[in-house]
Amino acid sequence: MAFLDVLMLGFSEALTPTNLMFCFIGALLGTLIGVLPGIGPTATVAILLPVTFFLPPLGALIMLAGIFYGAQYGGSTTAILVNLPGEASAVVTAIDGYQMARKGRAGAALAIAALGSFFAGTVATIALAIAGPTLSAFALSFGPAEYVALCIFGLLAATILAHGSVVKAIGMVCLGLVLGMVGIDVNSGSARMTFGSTELYDGIDFVVIAVGLFGIAEIATNLESKEIRGVLQSKIGRLWPTREEFKDSWAAVLRGTGVGTILGVLPGGGATLSAFSAYSVEKRISKTPEKFGHGAIAGVAGPEAANNAGAQASFIPLLTLGIPSNSIMAMMLGAMTIHGITPGPSVIQNQPELFWGLVASMWLGNAMLLVINLPLIGLWVKLLQIPYRLMYPAILLFCCVGVYSVSNRGFDVALVILFGILGYVLRKARCEPGPLLLGFVLGPLLETNLRRAMLLSQGDWLVFFERPISAFLLVITAAMLLTLILPTIRKNRKAAFEASED
Amino acid sequence: MNTIRTAILAAGTLLATIGSAHAEWPKDRPIQMIVAFAPGGSTDVMARAMQPYLEKELGADIVIENRPGASGEIAYTALAKAKPDGYTFSYINTPGFLSMQVQRKLGYDPKTIKPIARIVDDPAAIVVPAASEIKTIAQFVEAAKAKPGAVSFGSSGIGTDDHLAIIILGAEAGAKITHIPFNGAGETRTAILGAQVTGGGLNVSEFGGNDTSGLRMINTFGKERSPELPDVPTAIESGFNVEMTSERGIAAPREVPAEIADRFAAAVKATLDNPEFQKQAKQMALPLAYLSGPDWEKEMPTRLARFQKIWDTTPWVQQ
Repeated sequence: MAFLDVLMLGFSEALTPTNLMFCFIGALLGTLIGVLPGIGPTATVAILLPVTFFLPPLGALIMLAGIFYGAQYGGSTTAILVNLPGEASAVVTAIDGYQMARKGRAGAALAIAALGSFFAGTVATIALAIAGPTLSAFALSFGPAEYVALCIFGLLAATILAHGSVVKAIGMVCLGLVLGMVGIDVNSGSARMTFGSTELYDGIDFVVIAVGLFGIAEIATNLESKEIRGVLQSKIGRLWPTREEFKDSWAAVLRGTGVGTILGVLPGGGATLSAFSAYSVEKRISKTPEKFGHGAIAGVAGPEAANNAGAQASFIPLLTLGIPSNSIMAMMLGAMTIHGITPGPSVIQNQPELFWGLVASMWLGNAMLLVINLPLIGLWVKLLQIPYRLMYPAILLFCCVGVYSVSNRGFDVALVILFGILGYVLRKARCEPGPLLLGFVLGPLLETNLRRAMLLSQGDWLVFFERPISAFLLVITAAMLLTLILPTIRKNRKAAFEASED
Repeated sequence: MNTIRTAILAAGTLLATIGSAHAEWPKDRPIQMIVAFAPGGSTDVMARAMQPYLEKELGADIVIENRPGASGEIAYTALAKAKPDGYTFSYINTPGFLSMQVQRKLGYDPKTIKPIARIVDDPAAIVVPAASEIKTIAQFVEAAKAKPGAVSFGSSGIGTDDHLAIIILGAEAGAKITHIPFNGAGETRTAILGAQVTGGGLNVSEFGGNDTSGLRMINTFGKERSPELPDVPTAIESGFNVEMTSERGIAAPREVPAEIADRFAAAVKATLDNPEFQKQAKQMALPLAYLSGPDWEKEMPTRLARFQKIWDTTPWVQQ
């Protein structure tokens, strides 16, 4: 079978000692920078880029790819341990992961995150190998109208994300939408809500808001209580997940992998959406949705699998079409072009050893990550026993360094303080930051694509129903909305789900 | 990480300078080179490709600092405020550097920035899906005239060279072309590949440096045909008087000593003449076009006047 032949070719390339070493360096480096809040893979890859010009092309790509998916692993660690998501995709992990940590189940959350990620990575790698070109054709059929429908679907999902009042969740989404509008409008070029400050011309960075609303607000809340414990001092409990926890998570991992692989293929926000969507799916079909937000393991397993699958799947448009879907992929593209490789259909044909070698290395890298991360869980959990008075200054320091390194400016650090205060106030008002962040991420995507779609159709609103994918998504959204508005139908649906699962 | 490296280097050099006099330029401390765009963009990748060569030519350490934002204004403001001691340079890009002077009041005075050397002159172009029936710029314009507004053109954003080129083309030919701004060349490329737009703007390097299957370039907006793509005609030879390129080069604060400016320009020239770098540049499809700082600066007022003229009739940003 041709597929096995090329896979063999790939593994024979990836298993050479040098390439294995590059894979390990990348995975390890990725884990480390993923754990440091705010210091993202983008900065790391940028610094290493000139070095890679002097490395063999495959080795260089293997290492850069390793940093990217390694950081996805590492990012969830801080989200679970100290409620500090360093990446958009880890925000959802923080919701239930951190609650599990507070209950002494940090080890279990980390282990499920690692295992779920490994499984998702494996599946997404196979998807890349088998269906890469087909999936990329699907990505190309996603025009402005389809993105609009997807964003509307996502925004509705935001209300499911919250476990408190729906009205407050909608309020938070709207606040997120407003924050997302700050900066130069892509469609008109005029500045909005910048108050004349050039620093705000490109809007507010995601990391700034996430670190402020989650990290700083969390520290402030923890310092409030006299017995200063946060997560700490709580019982650590057993590190490995219990049989019960495994049972609750495997199906979530499967669903998360599916959601992540499909959404990850879409250039432009796909990977981030995947974690949010997976969470909504889990909460929607759970028999015990009330547990979500209070440490439901399915709320960790699903999104973690989804974000890793999404990260892996974002290589599909890059390798098959030469389209970078985020800044890291753009840098991978840069590294490739300097080595004289132009990613696209021709690479798979003319340099199969390169394409398949990279694909095989991704699977090996995921396996290495599992080996690196599982033993580290014990160490991470021990970190929680450090007295909080020593811990929080360190977290604050890393937050500042990380936020500064996003665009190398102090202005962002000042903004974090502002968002820290906002986050604290929101907490006191029992408003959750999750929906706000989703609104913030989706708002600009929705607005620019809506305007593009209207420009292209010359003002004809029917375009959303004439295109099959967008019509399909809108119908699903309408159905979801109905179940949300009509509690009776909601009950029936719940019963239907229970019936189908038995 | 960049910052940490800068901090460590800075701390080291600080220690080294205590007790001893300042070393001769450029040995004193690392030279900071500002890139006005995010890591991974084409300017950034070019800067990082040049870094080792420039370091060797100058015998100095170079630190690249990304200061993205406001289409370059944040970086240029930082450059204008920097000490003219030869330790701060920035990459500058046209038409952005010029068009923003027309577009809005800036946080710095453009006269305080001195071009040191031009590196690249990259023509804008019209690219259509490979399956498209449109084969020439004349057919593109005809289609737009036949059904006003139905022909769409994706660009990498408001005020970019693609956008300005299509404004001039529309005015020249009297055609109504619907402009669809995207966030950068990657999104534009995706939209053309998926045939979401009739055509789109990709520069010669953005086109030739990547896989071109599924795409067809019908014309460039260069003064002459590009050596990288000799078969693609220019708009001018097809009878449309539109010329638009995107230039990249290096600039310094105005007061930088002439000797340092000259040495830096010489190092840039030596890098561009280095066959090894040329090989890399070819792979990135970079249309290298060295121009000395003074020569480059001489060209700017004419271009600026042209942008002002376009702005006066069709301002591309809503006020």
